[in-house]
Amino acid sequence: MTAILPAETAGARRAPVRHTADGRRKRWRYLPQYLAVAPFFVLFAIFGVYPVLYSLYLALQRWDGVGPMKFVGLENFAFLLSDTTFWDSIGNTLIIWVMSTVPMTALALLIAVGLNSSVRYKGVLRVAYFLPNVTSIVAMSLVFGSIFSDEFGILNWFLGLFGIGNVDWLSDPWAIRGAISVMIIWRWTGYNAIIFLAGLQALPPDVFEAARIDGAGPVQTFFRITLPLLRPVLLFSVVMSAINGLQIFTESQVLLGNRGGPGGAGMTMVLYFYNTAFADNDFGYGAAIAWGIFVVVVLFSILNWRLVMRPERGQVQTKGAGR
Amino acid sequence: MTLTRRRFLTGAAALGAAAFGAVACTSPTTANPGRITLWYTSNGLSDVVLGEAVKRFAADKLTPSQVSGELKQRLLAALAGEAYLPDITMLGDDIATYFADTDHFVDLNSLGTAGVRDEYLPWKWQAGTSPDGFQLGFPVDVGPAALYYRHDLFAQAGLPSEPDEVAAAVSTWDDYFTFSAQVQKKLPGRYMITDTKTVFTYSLAQEPRKYFDRANHYLDDQSQVRRAWDRAVQAFRMGLTAGYAGSQSVNGQSIDRHAAWNSGKELSFVNASWITGELKESAPGTSGKWRVCRPPGGAGNQGGSFLAITKYCPDPHAAFEIVKWLQSPQNQPQTFLDLGLFPPSPSAYTDPRLLAPEPFFGGQVTMDVFSKIAREVQPVYFSPWDITISDTFTDELTNVESAGKDPEDAWRDARASVERLLRRQGVLS
Repeated sequence: MTAILPAETAGARRAPVRHTADGRRKRWRYLPQYLAVAPFFVLFAIFGVYPVLYSLYLALQRWDGVGPMKFVGLENFAFLLSDTTFWDSIGNTLIIWVMSTVPMTALALLIAVGLNSSVRYKGVLRVAYFLPNVTSIVAMSLVFGSIFSDEFGILNWFLGLFGIGNVDWLSDPWAIRGAISVMIIWRWTGYNAIIFLAGLQALPPDVFEAARIDGAGPVQTFFRITLPLLRPVLLFSVVMSAINGLQIFTESQVLLGNRGGPGGAGMTMVLYFYNTAFADNDFGYGAAIAWGIFVVVVLFSILNWRLVMRPERGQVQTKGAGR
Repeated sequence: MTLTRRRFLTGAAALGAAAFGAVACTSPTTANPGRITLWYTSNGLSDVVLGEAVKRFAADKLTPSQVSGELKQRLLAALAGEAYLPDITMLGDDIATYFADTDHFVDLNSLGTAGVRDEYLPWKWQAGTSPDGFQLGFPVDVGPAALYYRHDLFAQAGLPSEPDEVAAAVSTWDDYFTFSAQVQKKLPGRYMITDTKTVFTYSLAQEPRKYFDRANHYLDDQSQVRRAWDRAVQAFRMGLTAGYAGSQSVNGQSIDRHAAWNSGKELSFVNASWITGELKESAPGTSGKWRVCRPPGGAGNQGGSFLAITKYCPDPHAAFEIVKWLQSPQNQPQTFLDLGLFPPSPSAYTDPRLLAPEPFFGGQVTMDVFSKIAREVQPVYFSPWDITISDTFTDELTNVESAGKDPEDAWRDARASVERLLRRQGVLS
């Protein structure tokens, strides 16, 4: 709607007094333009707005997918609030997110700095680092499944060579979360490294030159100059990883099945939603879980937004203090 | 008339609107109007039999369509939208989830099942009947459970190794556990039981009652569930289970288990007949070393599917003829040979092709074992909530097995979450 207003007001200003029929004709003049942009709005209404509203309607019903729906009011939401599995799944999602994002960011930075300094075959390396990101997650989860297998996994065999006993990668709650985190790290490190590399290459070289002249070592340069200047890019990557982290699903599902493995340690929010709606065929409650996830995501976004806004405030303050 | 941009845009928009309108008006109820569409899952029906059926029922334009992914999700979507529905569809062993909504389907009794009913195992036929007598499902296959074991390793350890001897040694679950402890003492580091989950599942499969009665009343006396639970816990306490539950994929396959079959670490396991395909495929090197025998505790069934006709089918009689022919006792052996789907008709058990000695089982005629079990299975009511409830119990058993949870706490938690679930679904008040 906002796009229409300027054109209309412009027309009105040009000719304030006009016959209504003429005005209507004027309005019809823009019909082709409206029609030209209409497909997006039509498709968005069908595949975007309608399902969202329908899921809200569904969250108030009890429905097994076959029979008639039964209106239950806010019962599903009341159940959701007291559902320990749901709270556990939020916890699991956040734990896995932290366990994967922290090492991933550090690793990606390391790779980016390495790529930024003069290395041969830079192009080949960039492609190689990006490769995990475009690999099918299902195929990758199957490979990781055989790596992490408790009894006959490659990883346990490898650990055995060094006399380290078997780790129950897919049975022990913390090992499960670790295994999923490793898969996420493997998938996203290269992607973030490329982003960081782009950020690094955009940094002004004269700052580094000045640092070198002032006698700063490489470690000092990294922590005092590179990292602070890279802050916006770092924040972008953290926000992106939060968006992806809250949606962890396939890794858990393929590695552990719909029920999240022993102790439900791999049960993430989205997996719980999927299991309820599409394995147990409890669509009403599934929709309620989806709205629960929505609330968590909103809270998370507010948190992220605050994090992104803070450095600007900080900069203004230091500038003021410096003067 | 020249084609200006404006004319082009309005024309294109009009065309688009017309196309939308056309789709809305002629929206077909069935997937292929004028044809009889059959939805089946991968490995659900034999391609050979289907190929013949397409030729045979050319007049009805039989169109088999293999659904990739989950057939159930696609069927539910089609039913909810009442569009693009199949005429004949396959239903899984969760057929009870449709019993409350049989108005979407055709009662096969109204098409004349009287003549064919007696050709099928009575308990399987009954499993496709809703509590109020609506014949929803036509039997496709059954899953009689047997004990699979490594003949060579048993013999090597000087233990009973011929099917009859082993069956006699493991006639009850207690006998099986005692026997297993003996075997594990002689062959240390190996396992006789996959995990607590299989003990629970197959023990419960032998009971005449599960969680609900046929009137969909929750059986508050869960002594049969408790019995299966205690057996599973006992097997774990005796150190007989391998606990491969953790490394299971979505379709229930376990990498650890496959490796354990290959390396001879898993010496025996109780499972339904359909596991044979997975066993042959993932452990080809062990060919000739396996045998099957009667399982501990008696006959039980796990899994098996059905064919149903939707009420949207314009010609249910023609569809029924197709279903009858596809699943006729004459065609079941071919399906068994192609996919290992166990025949639901006792008369198929005497088919010479199925009585041939099997090299994978060292020349044993496994049909002798399976057919006896299939005939002895007791009818049991499978409610719409059974799968979710079973999953809740086996989740807790896995917690006992691999996370060291106290079995009593686990039992209490499982029962509590089942009751909570049933309350949410309005089954319990």
